[in-house]
Amino acid sequence: MKRVGIVGAGGISRTHADRWSRMPGIELAGFHDIVEDAARGAVQRSGGKVFSSLNELFDAVDYVDVCTPGTAHVGPVVAALEAGLPTVCEKPLANSVADCEQIVDAAERTGTPLFVAMVVRFFPQFAKAKQVLDSGAIGAPGVIRTVRSGSYPDAGSSWRKGLAITSYYADFAQSGGVLLDLCIHDIDYQRWCFGEIERVFARGMMFAGKEPKDHALLTVRFASGAVGHIEGSWSYPRGRFSTRIEIAGTRGIIEWDSRARQPVEVAIAREDGSLASSSSSPTAPQHDPYYAELAHFVSCAEAEEPFLVTPYDGLMAVKISRAAIESLETGKAVTIS
Amino acid sequence: MENAETRGPESLSEVRVGMFSFAHMHAASYIHFLTQMEGVTLAGIYDDDYDRGGRIAAQFNVPYFRRSEGLLDQELDGAIICSENALHAPLVLQAAGKVRGILCEKPIATTVSDGQAMIDRCRESGTKLQIAFPMRFSPPVIELKSQVESGVLGEVYSVKTTNHGSMPGRWFVDAKLAGGGAVIDHTVHVVDLIRWIWATEVVEVYAEVGRELLHPGLGIDDVGLLSFQLANGIFGTLDTSWSRPPSYPTWGDVKVDVLGENGLICVDAFEQNLHVSSDEAGKTSDVNWGSSGDEGLVADFVAMIREGREPSVNGEDGLRALEVALAAYESARRAEPVKL
Repeated sequence: MKRVGIVGAGGISRTHADRWSRMPGIELAGFHDIVEDAARGAVQRSGGKVFSSLNELFDAVDYVDVCTPGTAHVGPVVAALEAGLPTVCEKPLANSVADCEQIVDAAERTGTPLFVAMVVRFFPQFAKAKQVLDSGAIGAPGVIRTVRSGSYPDAGSSWRKGLAITSYYADFAQSGGVLLDLCIHDIDYQRWCFGEIERVFARGMMFAGKEPKDHALLTVRFASGAVGHIEGSWSYPRGRFSTRIEIAGTRGIIEWDSRARQPVEVAIAREDGSLASSSSSPTAPQHDPYYAELAHFVSCAEAEEPFLVTPYDGLMAVKISRAAIESLETGKAVTIS
Repeated sequence: MENAETRGPESLSEVRVGMFSFAHMHAASYIHFLTQMEGVTLAGIYDDDYDRGGRIAAQFNVPYFRRSEGLLDQELDGAIICSENALHAPLVLQAAGKVRGILCEKPIATTVSDGQAMIDRCRESGTKLQIAFPMRFSPPVIELKSQVESGVLGEVYSVKTTNHGSMPGRWFVDAKLAGGGAVIDHTVHVVDLIRWIWATEVVEVYAEVGRELLHPGLGIDDVGLLSFQLANGIFGTLDTSWSRPPSYPTWGDVKVDVLGENGLICVDAFEQNLHVSSDEAGKTSDVNWGSSGDEGLVADFVAMIREGREPSVNGEDGLRALEVALAAYESARRAEPVKL
């Protein structure tokens, strides 16, 4: 039995806690949060105990899962690595390149396993598209387009209200807006598929004074010469969240759209005669992407094998996101150093 | 007769499984998931096709056996049988008593008497007989079952289903080995789902069966339209046709539309796809990324052996589904409904 302690008791913490709770061989030891009430709430929901300090948590666990906002990753992650505890760090690795470099240095110095939770690589449709690409079925990579667009993540989600994180997303200086919080998924996925990114150019609303709405369109150039397009949005109408993949090569193309027809569609007449319709796309519990990424962390940590996502991958994704923000500010293309 | 309890319980941390024949292509999927599982050892492969068996055994680095007796001597806990339909019976009869559990590809057999003999022998020898109905482990189908059980539809009127496929060729079109064509191949999956979801039986079936309607010169049925009545009052149809040509984006489908007094639930179990256009393939194909029912099926089989519990899908389930397929053929011959 391995014990996991979660640092941070906000939104993603809850998602992870739910997965840890149903993973065989794992005991959720509890939570630490600088807002102790938040940790108490998490314990009431998910079990375990409240740890009043990081060291108290480190003493009681085998693995650490850092789910604080990206501005507050470097402290607990470096401390956990120095304590020799294999660690999960929620994306982004950190909100600044300097913090990321400090974390990568600590991982190298201590040799402690560090997994960056880039969950999109564990979505079955995204993983399958990468597998088809790697099989050579569409020839050499040419253009990749991905979409990750929805409404602002706070409004309407009642459980988040009252938590310290409530204003985090809307404070773009902290959260980095869609470019750092959302597009980082696609930057990492595209880089995983097509290799190193050389150059990025971005247009968007981050500095347009429309917080919390944000929307960005990015173009990237890969070292291979291939190109990529990314749309990330917190401005879509509620209920219209969508993701999309399009990968074109010299010999074919891969397409997927989350708004395609779903395998289960239910249409029920209400008493008043109106229609209640819903649809779903269920997968087996072990293929839930959050479960799969955490299970991957455990199996690699136990077998002492490298993770699918390295600390360097985490650093590069933040570097590219930050370069995209710089491009917005300067109106120029930014070369990735 | 030998008894299945030949290995002590301490050996069950590791479950030893033998694969008997790769005549049915589902074996490739089962072996894939089996070899990914922890605590499972693939003990070897038997196949009467030397080239096929030898190639797959080499690929998985396990011993190849030209005779089934050889593999059965390897202290197996489980046997997975994916031979031609007509050869399920001799292999099951041989393995019964020598293993704790058998996973037998569908349909259970080509005749009711073979199926009954398999069930009887397994029961007498203490071997658990599970039939391979992976659609019970398909997440969209599981969601359908839970929706139906929630009662959201109110009274259920009808269930319209399809299990289309591509014409598989090989022994699947040999009446002696397969027991029939499209009707026996594709009746049993959906009939099993319906029996499972509503805990009911098919009491009457009418069928229009087409021979060589889509594949001239095939020599066997390639089209089947079954119309059935269930004991619980629901009526429905099932299309078993091998009606998906090589140019079609995918091999086939499993679709279930349930209509009730409050509305409609439509399930398309394989509608989780990437669309992949490839110049190599010369067409656009559906590449499924959903959770394979085969993964759940194989895990369930291994868990049955490890826990010593009863199969979740047993020989009787397999036999009831076969009886419906055989009744469909009889109905088509007589051009009238057949009672079960």
